[in-house]
Amino acid sequence: MPLLEISGLTQRFGGIQALSNFSFRMEEHELVGLIGPNGAGKTTVFNIVSGFYASTEGEIVFDGRRINGLKPHRVTAMGMARTFQNIRLWNEMTVLDNIRLARYSWLGYGFLDAVLRTARYGRAERAVEVRACEVLEMMGLSECAGELPKNLPYGLQRRVELARALTGNPKLLLLDEPAAGLNSADVEDLIRHIRWIYDEFGISIWMIEHQMKVVMSLCQRLTVINFGSILAEGTPEYIRQHPEVIDAYLGDEKI
Amino acid sequence: MQRYTFNILFFLAAVALVGLAQFEMLDKYVLTIITFMGINCIFAVSLNLVNGYMGEFSCGHGGFMCVGAYAGSLLSVAFFTDSKLFGPALFPPELAPVLFPLVLLGATLAAALFGLIVALPSFHTRDDYLAIITIAVNYIVISIVENIDAIGGPRGFSGMRKTVNAMSDVASVPWMLIWTILGLFVCVMTIYRLMTSTYGKGISAVRQNEVAAEIMGINTNRVKIMAFMVSSGLAGLAGALYAHVYGYVNAQAFNILKSTEGLVMVYLGGMGSISGVLLAAVAFTLLTELLRFVIPWLDGVLHAVSLLPAGYELSQIWKWVIIPLILVLLMQFRPEGFLGNRELTQVFPWIKRWITFK
Repeated sequence: MPLLEISGLTQRFGGIQALSNFSFRMEEHELVGLIGPNGAGKTTVFNIVSGFYASTEGEIVFDGRRINGLKPHRVTAMGMARTFQNIRLWNEMTVLDNIRLARYSWLGYGFLDAVLRTARYGRAERAVEVRACEVLEMMGLSECAGELPKNLPYGLQRRVELARALTGNPKLLLLDEPAAGLNSADVEDLIRHIRWIYDEFGISIWMIEHQMKVVMSLCQRLTVINFGSILAEGTPEYIRQHPEVIDAYLGDEKI
Repeated sequence: MQRYTFNILFFLAAVALVGLAQFEMLDKYVLTIITFMGINCIFAVSLNLVNGYMGEFSCGHGGFMCVGAYAGSLLSVAFFTDSKLFGPALFPPELAPVLFPLVLLGATLAAALFGLIVALPSFHTRDDYLAIITIAVNYIVISIVENIDAIGGPRGFSGMRKTVNAMSDVASVPWMLIWTILGLFVCVMTIYRLMTSTYGKGISAVRQNEVAAEIMGINTNRVKIMAFMVSSGLAGLAGALYAHVYGYVNAQAFNILKSTEGLVMVYLGGMGSISGVLLAAVAFTLLTELLRFVIPWLDGVLHAVSLLPAGYELSQIWKWVIIPLILVLLMQFRPEGFLGNRELTQVFPWIKRWITFK
C-alpha cells in the first residue's frame, strides 16, 4: 500500500488552471523531489495535500485514508508535517515553546486540566517537555532553546522549523524549498541533516527545491511539473538528460 | 518556596485589606473604590485574553459583562429573596454566604455561553469585521435587556442588596470585598495557568502565525472560540460582582463606553501582559476617581482666571475627553503600553529572586 497516492488532482483559482490532472504515488521510506519552474504549481500541490486548499477535483489518499477536504490540523494529526518556503515560526515565543507546541495534537488534556493543573496535565506536559528536549538535542539546537527565533541566524531558523516539523513523529515530511536563502555552507549542513533524518527515522520525505545540488544528491526520484501538469518523472539521472526538462527548466547549465 | 511567594503575598494583602475594612479603618468610599478596582482588573484581564494574547480586536466586552451582571442578579434574587418575579426564595437567606459562589459561577457560565453564541458565526471573519460584530453585539445585548419588561427594562433591576444584607446578617464582614478579591484571584490564576500551558499557548500561536498554527496541528477555530468563551465568561464574573456591589444594575452601565474603558485599560497596560493590565486597571480606576475632584477644581481655576465664560461649567463629561486623549498620547509615544507583551518579572528580573508565579 502506498503511503501517499494522489490521482487526477485539478485545481482552478478563478480562471487560472493551477494544476491539471496531477497524479503521484509515494511508497513508505522514499525521498522524492518535486521540481519545476516558478509558478508551475509546486507549492499548490503541497497546500492541497496538507489541507490548506480543498482541491477542485481529484483524490488524495494518505496512509490508507482519503484526506480530501480534511482541515490541516486533522492531516497533521494523521502524521504529516511540513515546512514553509518562507519560514513561519512563532517569533515571540522561545524556540523551546515553538517545539513544544508541535505536540499540540497529542496533548490529550483540555481547558479544565490546564487551569486546575490536574495529574493528566502534569503527565502530558512532562511528556511534551521530554520530547521537545529530545528533538532539540537531536537537531543540535539545545543551545538556543531559550532564544526567540527572530534573533537566530537564518540557517538556524530553518533548522528550528525542521525540528518543529519532526516533533510530531510524522510519517511523511513535506519540505517546501528548505534550502531557499541558505549560503553554501548551510546548504551542505542541510543536506547532511535531511539525509540523517531520512535514515534515522525511516520516514518519507517529499521536497520542493530549486537548488539542483540538493535534489540531485538527496532524491531517489524526481517529478517535474510545468504549467500545472507533469512533464517528466524518474531518477535524477534520467531527469538530468530529459530533453523537455532541459528545455523547460534546467537549461544548458552544467550540473 | 518562591513559587508560593506570590500566593502568600496576595493572601496577606487580601487579609490586611479585609481586616482594615472590617475594623472600619478604611473609609466606605475608599473601600468602594478598591472593590471597583478589583472588578475593573477582572474586566481588563479577561479582555486581554482576546485583544492581547490572541491579537483579535473585540470592542464589545461590556456586552458580556452585562449578560453576567443580569444573570448573576437574577440568580441571586431567585435564590435568596422573595420577589414578584420568582416568588419565594429557593434557599433560606442563611445559606447566602455558602451559595453565593453558585451565583457567580452561574453568571460566568451564562456569559461564556453567550460568548460561544457570538463566537460560532463571527470567527469565520477576522480583524475589522470581528470588531464591528462585537460592537453590534454590545448594542444588541443592551437593546434586548432594555426591552424585557420583566427584568425592569430601561429602569434597571435591583434586589441584590437583600442578598448582600442576608450575607451580612450571617456574619458581619465586608462580603463583597472578599468575593471580589477571590474573583480576581480565580481570574488571574485561570488566565495565568492557561497561558503558561502548552494548550493555552495555542492562543499566542494563532496571533503570531495562524498558518503555522493550523499546519502544526492546532485547531485554530476551536482555540479562538475557547479563548473567546473564557474571556466573556470572566467578564460575566466581573458583571455579577459589579451588580452586587452596586445593588442595582442598568443595561446602560455596560454600553460601548464601558467596553471602551476595557480597551483603554488593556492598551494602557500592554497587550498580552497580565501584570501590565492589572497595573493599568488600578491606575485607570484611580484616574477616573481623581478626575471627579480634578474637574471641579479645574473648573474653579479656569473661572478664577476667567478663561471660561461665566455661564459654562466644566462638567464630568470632560472625563471622556481627557481619557481618550490619554489613549491618543499613549498610542503616539508608547504604543506597546506600560509593559507591552512582557510581564513585570521580565522587565524587572530581580523580582524573580523573590517571586516565581505558580
